[in-house]
Amino acid sequence: MLTYREIISTLEMVKNENLDVRTVTLGVNLLDCAGGDPNGVRKRIRERILGLAGSFVQVCDGVGQKYGIPVVNKRIAVSPIAVVGAALSRAQLVALAKTLDASAREVHVDFIGGFSALVEKGLAAGDRSLIAAIPEALAATERVCASVNVASTRAGINMDAVLLMGKTVKRAAELTADRDGVACTKLCVFANIPEDIPFMAGAYLGIGEADAVINVGVSGPGVVKMAVERALAADPDMDLGSLSELIKKTAYKVTRVGELIGREVAEHLKIRFGVVDLSLAPTPNVGDSVGEIFQSLGLRAIGVPGTTAALALLNDAVKKGGAFASSRVGGLSGAFIPVSEDLNISEAVRNGQLCLEKLEAITSVCSVGLDMVALPGETTEETISAIIADEMAIGVINNKTTATRLIPVPGKKPGDKAYFGGLMGHSTIISVNNGSGDNPFIRRGGLIPAPIHSLRN
Amino acid sequence: MNKAILSILGRDRPGIVAAVSRALTDLNCNIENVSQTMIQREFAGIFIVSMPEEMTSLDLQREMDSRLSLLGLHIYTKPCAGGDDECLAGDCEPFIVTTKGPDRKGLVADISEVIARNGVNITNLQAVFKGGDAPGDNIMIYEVDIPASVDQQALANELRVKAERLHLDISIQHRNIFEAINRI
Repeated sequence: MLTYREIISTLEMVKNENLDVRTVTLGVNLLDCAGGDPNGVRKRIRERILGLAGSFVQVCDGVGQKYGIPVVNKRIAVSPIAVVGAALSRAQLVALAKTLDASAREVHVDFIGGFSALVEKGLAAGDRSLIAAIPEALAATERVCASVNVASTRAGINMDAVLLMGKTVKRAAELTADRDGVACTKLCVFANIPEDIPFMAGAYLGIGEADAVINVGVSGPGVVKMAVERALAADPDMDLGSLSELIKKTAYKVTRVGELIGREVAEHLKIRFGVVDLSLAPTPNVGDSVGEIFQSLGLRAIGVPGTTAALALLNDAVKKGGAFASSRVGGLSGAFIPVSEDLNISEAVRNGQLCLEKLEAITSVCSVGLDMVALPGETTEETISAIIADEMAIGVINNKTTATRLIPVPGKKPGDKAYFGGLMGHSTIISVNNGSGDNPFIRRGGLIPAPIHSLRN
Repeated sequence: MNKAILSILGRDRPGIVAAVSRALTDLNCNIENVSQTMIQREFAGIFIVSMPEEMTSLDLQREMDSRLSLLGLHIYTKPCAGGDDECLAGDCEPFIVTTKGPDRKGLVADISEVIARNGVNITNLQAVFKGGDAPGDNIMIYEVDIPASVDQQALANELRVKAERLHLDISIQHRNIFEAINRI
């Protein structure tokens, strides 16, 4: 028999604390769709997606309804298109992106990720074509997401690719200038990209994965915040060790929800269950913010001194609770701090409490990185590349994933507002201090070698 | 197996379970299941016991009335067929139906009527009505077994329509979600 408290506390989490499953992502292996004939490749891709994902959204909604837990987003991640479409030209890859977009629309998923390339050690012809196609592909489609892995702890940082990505980000922004550079919200640059991220824009299906897989991303910032506030109301003198324990237990509960729903969706679709990504993923709604957790813990806002320590505590407690709750943990698994997607973090930028430098500092202790950061439109390609390089260095040296999702918003200056719509939210343009002027360092290209601790064998 | 079921009601106080179980032991009865609870200081207990072959539930009733007469308890005994706790209709899925909302007469009757009409069995019910309109003060929690033959969606829709008429906020969730979240 369930206890009264167990039932009521669970209901509270769902009804008032925004507990949901943020995404169920269907990984679709497209490697055997590759070929030199662009029409054939596109036809095979469409058939594969429609074949596997025809009932995917319906099944997710049904399972969500059974448990009374909404599955907010249903998405697809495909094999890296730079591999699948290695023989195709830039224009042919743009057409392929449109096929992905149309297929995603046909099966009613909101995003499809995997317009991706893995270039940490070098750029092959297919990679160059794909990166060249990214701006137009993202501008011409609604649901396609792109990612490029330019660095890894084992390989170092491919600075030629970093430079290329600075240009690509800038071009993607220009092509969607009328929508505040929205194409860039669908483009991530990674170091140490995991092969099983369920979250966008970084989701793709790794080369080592099976034909199809179900990965799940949980949510839970609202649940963690309310748990912290309830505990502090009951005991205002609670110390950080006890708060860490509390967050750990809360993360356990949140993760169990994801695991249960993911496994059931996988069972219905007769597809293997992959991983639960433990990341605390915010939305631009009040009460569903990672930034608000900092305030609940006692900081004036995210960005003030103490933020890095608080995030380290939060991220670690989430991992510990989540790892105990699930036997299949993967993806990014940490706390997200996407500026425009988190109302509170966006506010901290507007109020000047969170600057780019502090944001970069705190990415050293959490997952992702400089995520959904709106930059002034005049930020140069080189400066964007330099910011990417700094973020990649944090990932490579600390043996962790880092990424950038930077949006140089055309025509806008620091303090202006950028609007991306929906889950992407809105943000105040952040200043890039000392970003102007020549940067020959970035232009040198080549490879920043892998760190000494990559020699592990 | 010769079994009986006893229900015991009375004003709660220390020693009721001890007295009942001592009397049953002295009568050579073996307790198989007990469920007891206390609501608003009233004790309610249900005991299923196996009795000696020659004893009837009427014998047991007489003996218990006589042995526990000083405790002021209401005791009712009847023969028990026994059986396990599995769903009556065979293949079932356990769901939890929870309502919150303003108090009024007939809430349990109205909701349980919909559940019954659909051939769904209530396996456990907890309800608290403190009165007034504060949703947190008036809560019903039904644990139900929905047979495979019942259209879950239709039942859920019917319950939602009824709840809306009663101004209740209703949730219908598979039991596994509560277990997953709260139990290791």
